[in-house]
Amino acid sequence: MPEDYLPILAMVVVVIGFAAAALVVSAITGPRKPNPAKLSPYESGMPPFGSARRRISIRYYLTAVLFILFDIEIVFFYPWAVLFRQLGLFGLIEMAIFVAILLVGYVYVWRKGGFDWD
Amino acid sequence: MPDATTLYLILPEITLAVFGMVILAVDLIWRERSRAALAWLTVLGFVIALATALLGWGWNMALFAQMYVVDTFAIFFKLLAAIAGILVTLVSLDYLRDRTPYRGEFLALFTFAVLAMMMMASSASLLMIYLSIEFLSYMSYLLTGFLREDKKSNEAAIKYFLYGAITSALMLYGLSLLYGISGSLNFADITATFAARNDVPTRIVALVSTALVIAGLGFKISLVPFHQWAPDTYEGAPTPVTAFLSVGPKAVGFAVLLRVLLTALPAFKNEWIALLTVISVLTMTLGNLVALRQKNVKRLLAYSSIAQAGYILIGLVSVNLNGASPFSGLNGVLIYLFAYLFTNLGAFTCVIAIENATGAVEIDDYKGLVKRAPFIAALFVIFFLSLAGIPPTAGFIGKFFVFGAALREGFLVLAAIGVINSVISVFYYFSVVRAAFFEAGKDTAPIRLAPPITFSLVVSAALVLVMAVYPEPFFNLAAWSMGMFGVAK
Amino acid sequence: MEIIVFYLFAAIAVIAALGVVGLRNPVYAALCLAVVFVSFAGLYVLLSAPFIAVAQVMIYAGAILILFVFVIMLLSPPVDQGEGALKWQKPLALGFVGALAVQLVLVLALAVLPSARGSLTPEVIAQRGDVQVVGAALFSDYLLPFEMTSLLLLVAIVGVIVLAKKR
Repeated sequence: MPEDYLPILAMVVVVIGFAAAALVVSAITGPRKPNPAKLSPYESGMPPFGSARRRISIRYYLTAVLFILFDIEIVFFYPWAVLFRQLGLFGLIEMAIFVAILLVGYVYVWRKGGFDWD
Repeated sequence: MPDATTLYLILPEITLAVFGMVILAVDLIWRERSRAALAWLTVLGFVIALATALLGWGWNMALFAQMYVVDTFAIFFKLLAAIAGILVTLVSLDYLRDRTPYRGEFLALFTFAVLAMMMMASSASLLMIYLSIEFLSYMSYLLTGFLREDKKSNEAAIKYFLYGAITSALMLYGLSLLYGISGSLNFADITATFAARNDVPTRIVALVSTALVIAGLGFKISLVPFHQWAPDTYEGAPTPVTAFLSVGPKAVGFAVLLRVLLTALPAFKNEWIALLTVISVLTMTLGNLVALRQKNVKRLLAYSSIAQAGYILIGLVSVNLNGASPFSGLNGVLIYLFAYLFTNLGAFTCVIAIENATGAVEIDDYKGLVKRAPFIAALFVIFFLSLAGIPPTAGFIGKFFVFGAALREGFLVLAAIGVINSVISVFYYFSVVRAAFFEAGKDTAPIRLAPPITFSLVVSAALVLVMAVYPEPFFNLAAWSMGMFGVAK
Repeated sequence: MEIIVFYLFAAIAVIAALGVVGLRNPVYAALCLAVVFVSFAGLYVLLSAPFIAVAQVMIYAGAILILFVFVIMLLSPPVDQGEGALKWQKPLALGFVGALAVQLVLVLALAVLPSARGSLTPEVIAQRGDVQVVGAALFSDYLLPFEMTSLLLLVAIVGVIVLAKKR
């Protein structure tokens, strides 16, 4: 049964090989003549100004954590969905309780403005 | 699908889960309106949970494929959890009023924390133990770091979290080894495996996993050397949360430790008794000696809490389930935990009362307390007498049974060290009393007490005194609570 | 054939894990962590649990790693310069880890763990399908942990709003 997934492994190896080959070949065969203009960061042709370091909003963190929590909920849906008919009514009730508890959380975040950007 | 009996027996947990969500929803709908009503709703939830927990008395069954056990041992700890919940809720609302706008969430999270405690008391499978410990840990981290602007609260939460995450990982490794050897998550199967296989490699691995599990649980109970988070966390957390942390996780941590050691690992009794004896001595001694140098009342009570865990461990070490003697270690542990709950909650409530009025937590600020709040000063004396184990208090009864059990099992040196440590502890407890009674303070305005705090103090003090004068009902409670599923009496 | 693939994934996982712990730049360490997650997914496939492998990649490499990278961006920690304050910590930690490693080797070498299989052998899983097996267990025997997980997620949601949301 794990043999069925061998093509995925082959694809991963090929992809990594391709990316590595591209980097390695260009590093070996390309000419090496650095000058200050070429080494400066690319900003659509304009001379760069300002620093790259800026205060990142904590909104990103909040969004990422909420994504994790609801992602885990989604993962729990897969086995239930696959066995939907066998689990019958009781399965529906059990999953409904699961979703209801998380729905409370969802409504809470919504009303507290967790989904707004600012 | 769980049947009617199962649902009936897990009513306390269902109640608390529902109440937690209801509190959250009500807080969303009502927004800024009366938060006091929410506190009463929380207390109502705990009272209903307490009542439904008592319904399960006398049943002795394992539910959910042997994962969740409802026996009198579990119900005892559910009672402790509910009582701790009620008392802490009563004193927390005033404290939080000016410190955070998230008061409704605090009550909801606190309800879930008590739910986690109840689930820990009933867990009988490696998976459930880990899940419920993590549940309680998350709640504890959140509640500790609740005051977002307070740097000390942040520091307390970070230290608690980092320490907890590492010991959790260690404990999980130990649990996975137990699973690997026995092939099952169930305590009964694990015991059977160790009864059947007694070769040296198995013993080595089992001992390593026992040590790791003790490490993980020792973190929750604040045993040495897993105690280092306790002083900073107790000092930085909001004081009601500190009160909760000092009794809640400790009590159910002991419950889980007892269950794991007595139900899953009885084959290695000699080894874990030896290990726990050493830990007990270290814990008592370090806790008491460092407490002597503390100037902050919360830190002092933190080290005192660490030392108390050492005393309770003496009872665990002397456990002897053969024959029905009042000096079996298990009896001592239960009585001690019951006494300790009220004593420590009472002591912290006094600290909260003073902190609400004056914002002070240093011993120096307690000078002249007897003139400003004589009621609290008197109660401090009672609670500290109880913590030190001096009659006529509940703490004395607890220590009596724990040391008595140690003597009965032949642990004379251990009992002696315990008594010496109790004597040492008198010194630092009475540094606070001396400041309150015999030294003059700068401020002399009287301190007023809110009714919920007064009620909570009266209940705690009454129980501490009643337990010493009329201990029989509590003895019976402890004796009945010794029924642990899967352990032959 | 399985042995070769197992050793391949195991070696990648161990090297990447050393990278996570040892690399100075936190972003490099996070990327090594991604490699660890993906190689673990490969190991799960070898254990006839492709559903767990996909869940591993989705949740760990897809969500948790993103969180790590966001936090690294947020904090902009300086590249770790060197030793900590206490000199004895490193040797003590290495000693402890060494003891655990020795114990792990003992466990494997002395064949303490029984090689008996449980009731869910690869043949059974191949016949029924691994998602079906997980689902059947989740909704019958393991119902209580399942519902408890939803409570855990709920309190995490509330907690993150309380701790991280701007007023």
